[in-house]
Amino acid sequence: MTPDRTSPENDWPGLLCDNARTGGQGIRPARAPDRVRWHIRTAGAVRSAPVLRGGVLYVTSMVGNLHAIDIEKGRQIWGFQASKPIHSTPSLSGNRVLFGSDSGKVYAVASDSGKAVWEAAAEAEVWTSPVIRDGTVFFGGADCRVYALDVDTGNKRWTQELGGRIYSTAYVSEQHLYLGCSDGKVYCLDVSSGKTVWATATGNGIDSSPALAGNTVLVGSEDFFFYALDATTGSVRWTYETGLGISSSPAVAEGVAVVGSKDGFLYALEIEGGKLRWKVRISDAVTAPPVIAAGLVCIQAGGTQAFDLATGNSAWRVGLGGAVQSAPVLTGDAIYVATNDGEVYALA
Amino acid sequence: MDRRTFVKASCLGSASLFLEGIDPKTFGDVTLPEPPPIQVVHGVRPEKSSLGMPGLFPGRVVEVSHSESIVRNRVSQPVIRGMIERGMKELTGEPSLRAAWAKFVEPSDIVGIKINPSGAPACCSSPEIVREIIDGVRSVGVPAGNIIIYDRYEYEIDVGSYPVLIPPGVRVVGIQDGLADSGYDPNVYCQATFFGEWENRSYMARIVSQGLTKIINVPTMKDHSASGVTGCLKNLGYGTFNNVARSHRSPFSFTDPLIGVMCSVEPLRSKAVLHIMDGMRQVWHGGPLTQVQEFIYQAGILYFGTDPVAMDTVELETIEQKRREQGVPSVWEHSPESITADAIEFYHNPHKNLFHRRPSHIASAGKLGLGVADLKRIDHGRIRLA
Repeated sequence: MTPDRTSPENDWPGLLCDNARTGGQGIRPARAPDRVRWHIRTAGAVRSAPVLRGGVLYVTSMVGNLHAIDIEKGRQIWGFQASKPIHSTPSLSGNRVLFGSDSGKVYAVASDSGKAVWEAAAEAEVWTSPVIRDGTVFFGGADCRVYALDVDTGNKRWTQELGGRIYSTAYVSEQHLYLGCSDGKVYCLDVSSGKTVWATATGNGIDSSPALAGNTVLVGSEDFFFYALDATTGSVRWTYETGLGISSSPAVAEGVAVVGSKDGFLYALEIEGGKLRWKVRISDAVTAPPVIAAGLVCIQAGGTQAFDLATGNSAWRVGLGGAVQSAPVLTGDAIYVATNDGEVYALA
Repeated sequence: MDRRTFVKASCLGSASLFLEGIDPKTFGDVTLPEPPPIQVVHGVRPEKSSLGMPGLFPGRVVEVSHSESIVRNRVSQPVIRGMIERGMKELTGEPSLRAAWAKFVEPSDIVGIKINPSGAPACCSSPEIVREIIDGVRSVGVPAGNIIIYDRYEYEIDVGSYPVLIPPGVRVVGIQDGLADSGYDPNVYCQATFFGEWENRSYMARIVSQGLTKIINVPTMKDHSASGVTGCLKNLGYGTFNNVARSHRSPFSFTDPLIGVMCSVEPLRSKAVLHIMDGMRQVWHGGPLTQVQEFIYQAGILYFGTDPVAMDTVELETIEQKRREQGVPSVWEHSPESITADAIEFYHNPHKNLFHRRPSHIASAGKLGLGVADLKRIDHGRIRLA
């Protein structure tokens, strides 16, 4: 029987799976791929992660393209050309695809036609992925500001200036927004006003995008440490030191946070107390975020690799998928990866 | 000005250009091929200035070290601040740090900071040093928006997380990726056929030929599998022109004379006014890309100068000394037994290399007037802060 690849169960509408950035807490099965179902080449390098909805994969590239790709045929349905490179992972909301660009513009593009619906402008590049919650889209920019816009119109609801550039994609909960900043602080902002609830300093800039597990904010810093913060107060619950800076973003599942470090290791840390459950060397430097699915950790570093969540033992590895900041999209019958070289693969 | 120059290999003959006291023939019996002529087409040279290489202080190298500048692989921002202040004052003889920076840049300049991210994250230009340079340039009155951090490959810049680690407003440009400020100037190039390659031109980055008015070079200290070392000259030359990997094909290398020739091309030569070499980490084997910490020495040193040849000469001697201490062959080694085509073996065995290296590019650059390659004529000042 042919699988229904357009099923909503396969949707992967934002960075690390969903628009609330649940940090890759997916439960999608991910079996070892043994073939390339299709392969398509974009016009430029891909530095972002693909997203999926309704049988269409959306991928941005460094020559300013947003590609909509039919996952049945492996063919482009439409393309949208922005004026500058795109580092931002797109997000899907209703029938719109939202993403930032190096021009400072954030675009909302109709997902069926590829036509621009609205665009809004920050004053410097937007590498973060827009996060949509309750009709508001949130994103940070290199102009040091966090923006909250109406998702239907692009009209500004509030902005908040922080102490440095923002490359960390926000985690948005019902009341709060958590993100890292190049001033080395982790910020918690009020969702409705943008006012700072708390800010906790780390020892260097933050590239990593936080995840929330219960009442714990988890994020890496370029100061080599991984932080677990109390989501209510910002107080440090525990830290774990790796061998180099952390720009990878954590995925969380089953009481464990998994994150890569530039020291080449993937770490699994217990969320409760920070105890190391396992670590495994997987590449020269790990900068991409892992995703977790059905007991496996999957990451694009040294190809695309999967590890047993409980033990860290290698489950499978394919040589495709070298990436700086991309992450695979996992579905029941395929894994979609975009690479630094601009290739997009459907692995089955 | 005649923009077109043919550099004759015969006048740069490697046998006549070895560093004083070192005869490359000592290190093996392989006969290295003679390099082909290199045709150079210059860009527009800026107004005549004494700042272009070898700059205000030919033959002078200031070395500043501090034992706490790098601890457990972390570079200390406050310690770096003190080291840069001392080094800049010592180099220029100026009483204030601001006056020292003002020797090289003025408020109307568009300043490029040429980093070396190619070994990121294990060994690349330290963001802590880049931050202090930005502060220094801004202290003279250059706005943040007129300061550009650049290198060839944006993905290497991203791995180093430079955008996250530098102050707001300063731009980061990967020449070869993306759209903004990127690309190469078709009117400025070096042309030579080394191994029969079909594309035999290397073009200068447009940002250098047309955009920047001053360049501050921040190389790292690494041994290099093709050129012997990568320092000021290679960071500038091979980081400014495209299509440079064609200069070395195992086991032979024509990095000499190409590196020096590229650095002599206008306007690169005139715009590169200051070099601050990052010796926080020193790679003594496996460069330029190694991530093997076993061959990376945390030396905690900075070098300051305007003469890239003198600085690279000091660097070469430092790397050679470290290799001697470790009991591994000189970078001048040219024996067939030293060569491997296996990258894994190369990265983990310091007795092996991919190419017969040609560190003589430093002396060749000296012959081109870019600086002083004779260690005995180099004024090498050493300051130990702690």
